[in-house]
Amino acid sequence: MNVILSRAELIRAEAKDLIAGAMRSWAAVRMTRFCGSTAACLLAVVIIGLAPSALQAQQDKSPDAALARLLQEVRAKLPGACSQPTADRLIRVLCAGRLRVGIRDYYPLFSTRSGETRQGYEVDVARAIANKLGVDVEFVRVNAATRIALLAEDRIDLAIATMGHNIQRDGQARFIRPHYYRSETTIVGPHSSGVSDWKDIPGRTVCVTVGNGSNAELVAQGARLMLFDEAGALPARLKDETCTLAAQDDSFFARSFTDPAFAERYAQKFGFAQVPWGMAVARDGSAQLARALDLISQIFHRDGVFLELGRAHRIGTAFLEQQHAVWQRPECNTETGSANDACLLPPFDAELKPTPFAGSVAAFEAWFESWTDIDLSLPMLTTAAAWSMFKGGVANSLILIVGALVATLALALLFGAAQGSRSALLRWPVRLLTVTLQSSPIVLTLVIAAAIAHALFPFSDAVALGASIAALGLANGSNAGQAISEAMTTLRAEQGAQAAGLFGRALGRSATQIVAFLVNAAKGTPIASFIGAPELLSALTDITSFSSGRATTYTLLLIFYTAVVMFVVWLCGRLRRLLERRQVLS
Amino acid sequence: MMALIDRLSSGFLPSFLGGMAVNFEIAAIAVAVGLALGLLLALARVGGGVLGGASASAIGLMRAAPTFVVMFFLLNAVPRDAILLGAPFALSGVMTVALSLVPYSAAYIADSGVDALRQLRGGSLPGALLFLPNVTRAFFVLVMSSSAGAAIGVSEGITIILRQAEQLPALGDRLVLFAVGIVLFGIPLQAGFAVMSFIQRRLGRIVVRRPADAA
Repeated sequence: MNVILSRAELIRAEAKDLIAGAMRSWAAVRMTRFCGSTAACLLAVVIIGLAPSALQAQQDKSPDAALARLLQEVRAKLPGACSQPTADRLIRVLCAGRLRVGIRDYYPLFSTRSGETRQGYEVDVARAIANKLGVDVEFVRVNAATRIALLAEDRIDLAIATMGHNIQRDGQARFIRPHYYRSETTIVGPHSSGVSDWKDIPGRTVCVTVGNGSNAELVAQGARLMLFDEAGALPARLKDETCTLAAQDDSFFARSFTDPAFAERYAQKFGFAQVPWGMAVARDGSAQLARALDLISQIFHRDGVFLELGRAHRIGTAFLEQQHAVWQRPECNTETGSANDACLLPPFDAELKPTPFAGSVAAFEAWFESWTDIDLSLPMLTTAAAWSMFKGGVANSLILIVGALVATLALALLFGAAQGSRSALLRWPVRLLTVTLQSSPIVLTLVIAAAIAHALFPFSDAVALGASIAALGLANGSNAGQAISEAMTTLRAEQGAQAAGLFGRALGRSATQIVAFLVNAAKGTPIASFIGAPELLSALTDITSFSSGRATTYTLLLIFYTAVVMFVVWLCGRLRRLLERRQVLS
Repeated sequence: MMALIDRLSSGFLPSFLGGMAVNFEIAAIAVAVGLALGLLLALARVGGGVLGGASASAIGLMRAAPTFVVMFFLLNAVPRDAILLGAPFALSGVMTVALSLVPYSAAYIADSGVDALRQLRGGSLPGALLFLPNVTRAFFVLVMSSSAGAAIGVSEGITIILRQAEQLPALGDRLVLFAVGIVLFGIPLQAGFAVMSFIQRRLGRIVVRRPADAA
């Protein structure tokens, strides 16, 4: 392919020279034939003389000419420069006659390996680049952890390994511009799911992989996350309906959509968090190689080479089509196009703002590890976004617990009074409601409460918290109410129908049951995260979805909730003693 | 309503029953592990001394641990590549939910076990036998609690209902489906409580008869 491209360029350059020469000869003949005076002839000669220079200057500004000049310049130094230890990587590549490309072994459609056979979009991009430089390609296996390290260690010349170009990585490698691909996080779900944009996301569960940078955006949009360790699990979980929506890099789902059965059932709903993918070379000693690759990338976009390779491997080509158009524009199709911000995409900014005390937290983590040999990680304290979610989670958890306790107590009194009433009209509907609530698992009660609340009010944190408090109060209050009414029945039997202060004494008699259901309500509050209530479990799940330290985080969460419930138990113990004392006094 | 009827007629019941079987499986595992742990704790508690104190503290802690948080703790804090007795050990979804219910189950069984052991020491075998309906009660509470597995994608009964509900656009249809779920969950639960009440009544009669016989 390289040979074909090089020859095509040579022919194109020769054709330009021939045309320019022909124009010059034709103009000179016409002028000599038609100019009337010496001055006019002199002026005409000057103009004719300048015309080819202007044409040449215009030709020189193309990326093709700039690349040809650069390669010619470098080749002129060979073989003498080959032995120089400080020689640019481009010189060393041309001297060795091979380009060492770091590439992934298994990333379907982009780079896969079967024995000695490699195929995929990135494999063919590497081959096309090597051909353009007139060298062979040697593939070296890399993964996400090694691709930049191998560049720095001079074990590869170029990395083409599904690497997102972000600001943080700019300090570690020199990224080639323009980018050769761009991925985005895509939301995939059944055709029938009715999700089309962000407005359909609040309150829905989305399956994601832990550590995905785009999870923070999903959380901010009100999605509930179900976490998986490996992206490979997501298509299967969609198929077995564990997940109704899944979010992952579109390059990952590209392969699934080549399966007609998958494509028939599922669709890409919408995409977000675009990340440009960059080829990269080492930061040091690669200036000329980087420049050559910048120009080649420009040419490949302009000529549709990237686009054709993308189509051949059935990857998403929307970005490549857009770039094909961009790099054909006159202002971009120049030798300086790869430095023109109007033509280029900015790198992705993946950095989260640290908290003011992030340094102290890191120092504490290090001290704790050195002291105990336990790898402590406190992600909720290190970034501003996580810290804000953590504080909100703690506050909402406390609101939820207090709300659930109050609702349980209030509904217990109401249910107890109604069920203990002598009016059958009041007693039986409440009994029926109690049996219904007892037959409904708490998760289902929560979902019903949330469905009704969302039908009445737009989705918000307050609505989710309110629905959770109502559901927990109803589930536990109905049971406690039943205990009160049973106590009333026994008291009536013992002391007669007209016993004074019956309800108060019934409270005392059923104190143990009331307290048990109050404790149960407090214990049940974390389940509110199931309907999107932004309590602590929900907040920490969100935080760990885009950071590390899951083990520590969930251990702290367990300690927090156990301590809170023990406090509630202690508090309820006091309430029970108070109620029992009242019963004794009465 | 047509959408709901379509859903209900296209294999909903078999999948729901399959899901409910998972609920019962989870509850059975939780009761089995809870029995082993709870009885040990009960024996230690009745024994008194330092061991009894430690047992009481452990029971208190287990009673206070929220099931849902324990489930997420197990899901996230247990490494996927953990080794147990030299073999790779990875918790399945069902096992994660079952183990998250063990603190509740063990604490409840320990409390009931302490009562039963004290009854036994007091010479009342029928009183001690009340331990059985208590375990039955715990089993049915655990069946209901196992629906927490819906949050981590375990295909139990409520998960099946929620998957169907997500495909129904009308709130009315969804509420009817939820009502169907409550009825289907309610039948075994109420039946279980009826069986438990029956056993309790029978045991109660035996308890009353024994002292009378003795007299």
